[in-house]
Amino acid sequence: MTVEEIFAALEEKFGVKREMHDKWGVTAIVSASYLHNVVQFLKDETGIKFDMLVDIAGIDYLTYPNHEGPRYAVAYAFKSMENPGARIRLKVLVSEEDLKVPTISDLYANANWYEREVYDLFGIVFQGHPDLRRLLNHVEFVGHPLRKDYPAQKRQWLSTNDYLLPELEKRLETLGYRVVQRSKEVETNDNEFLEGSIKA
Amino acid sequence: MGNEAEKPNIITSSLDFLVNWGRSNSLWPFPYGTACCAIEFMSTEVGRYDLSRIGSEYVRFTPRQSDVLLVAGTITYKQAPILKRIYEQMAEPRWVIAMGACASSGGFYDCYCTVPGIDHIIPVDVYIGGCPPRPEAFFDAMFDLQKKVKDESFMKQRAESIKDQLEMIKAKTAEAKRETAACVREKIVDVKDFMKEKQQDFVKKAQFWKE
Repeated sequence: MTVEEIFAALEEKFGVKREMHDKWGVTAIVSASYLHNVVQFLKDETGIKFDMLVDIAGIDYLTYPNHEGPRYAVAYAFKSMENPGARIRLKVLVSEEDLKVPTISDLYANANWYEREVYDLFGIVFQGHPDLRRLLNHVEFVGHPLRKDYPAQKRQWLSTNDYLLPELEKRLETLGYRVVQRSKEVETNDNEFLEGSIKA
Repeated sequence: MGNEAEKPNIITSSLDFLVNWGRSNSLWPFPYGTACCAIEFMSTEVGRYDLSRIGSEYVRFTPRQSDVLLVAGTITYKQAPILKRIYEQMAEPRWVIAMGACASSGGFYDCYCTVPGIDHIIPVDVYIGGCPPRPEAFFDAMFDLQKKVKDESFMKQRAESIKDQLEMIKAKTAEAKRETAACVREKIVDVKDFMKEKQQDFVKKAQFWKE
């Protein structure tokens, strides 16, 4: 199955359009409602198995010259391990009013962190994601820094560092361990913990 | 007592010399390495350059046992509270070296996520320029730090640290003295009154017997 055939099949099945501006002609524009099905089709049913997710990237078209259409986009890059060189990109256009895209972290495990990153930097919500938290910025960060209307030099202080022990215990419990007793040093004391913090 | 401790004399100055000699020749670094500067520090520490020649023999990976906090690399806002906490965990005396452009000023990361110089968080003694600085530059910084350590006065620092205590003791003593004086004055007044009463009694009795 060549790339042309894949695009024809996608257009027939899901109404996927081919991006005209792409120099290499491997980009397809998918609507958000079909995304999960398209990815599953590419992964399992095509002759070329696109079994590697290379990247998920957010795009903000706010200051892009001569752009018409929704403000945001999410671009997925796939690669085949059996046929090296076979690549395909999917692009989902996301409007400002409805910042929602279905997750593909159930199909590709590494999509989990990619989607967290896009959520952190662009504020696009991935529906059905198991743990949609900020990945790169800290918890007290307000706003999404790679949006074009975020002032690039606006700095935000973090008041205290993360306390990761409860999360660690939760993970240990999922692995079958059980907390029997905590030592005194480990028990949380909020006042003492906040002593080393930075007040902006 | 306070004035005597502040003045340098033959005992305190030789003690200063001894303490500074020991401190400046055993500056154990704590490498807080987050970027390429840390690689440069590794080459400073081993074979060809050999930082242990000037007494920085051990690289301690715990803040409890180290003297110099060596911040080598970019510090992000997410990391800033951790760095501050580690600095606070270090025992005094402690010094800080900001190694490289990123730790000194944020470098070329003029953006939302990088702290523009670690002096926004903790006090810094020596800055090293360069991206990353060569090991020679690091040695230069260590010599500068040694000079700074040798200039410090251990006895003076001690005097300053107990200055508050001394002042408190002085104030308390003065207050106690004032209280005693007031008490004594009251007692004297009482005794005088008593004497006056007695005298009047005697005068009255004498008059009665005359009559």
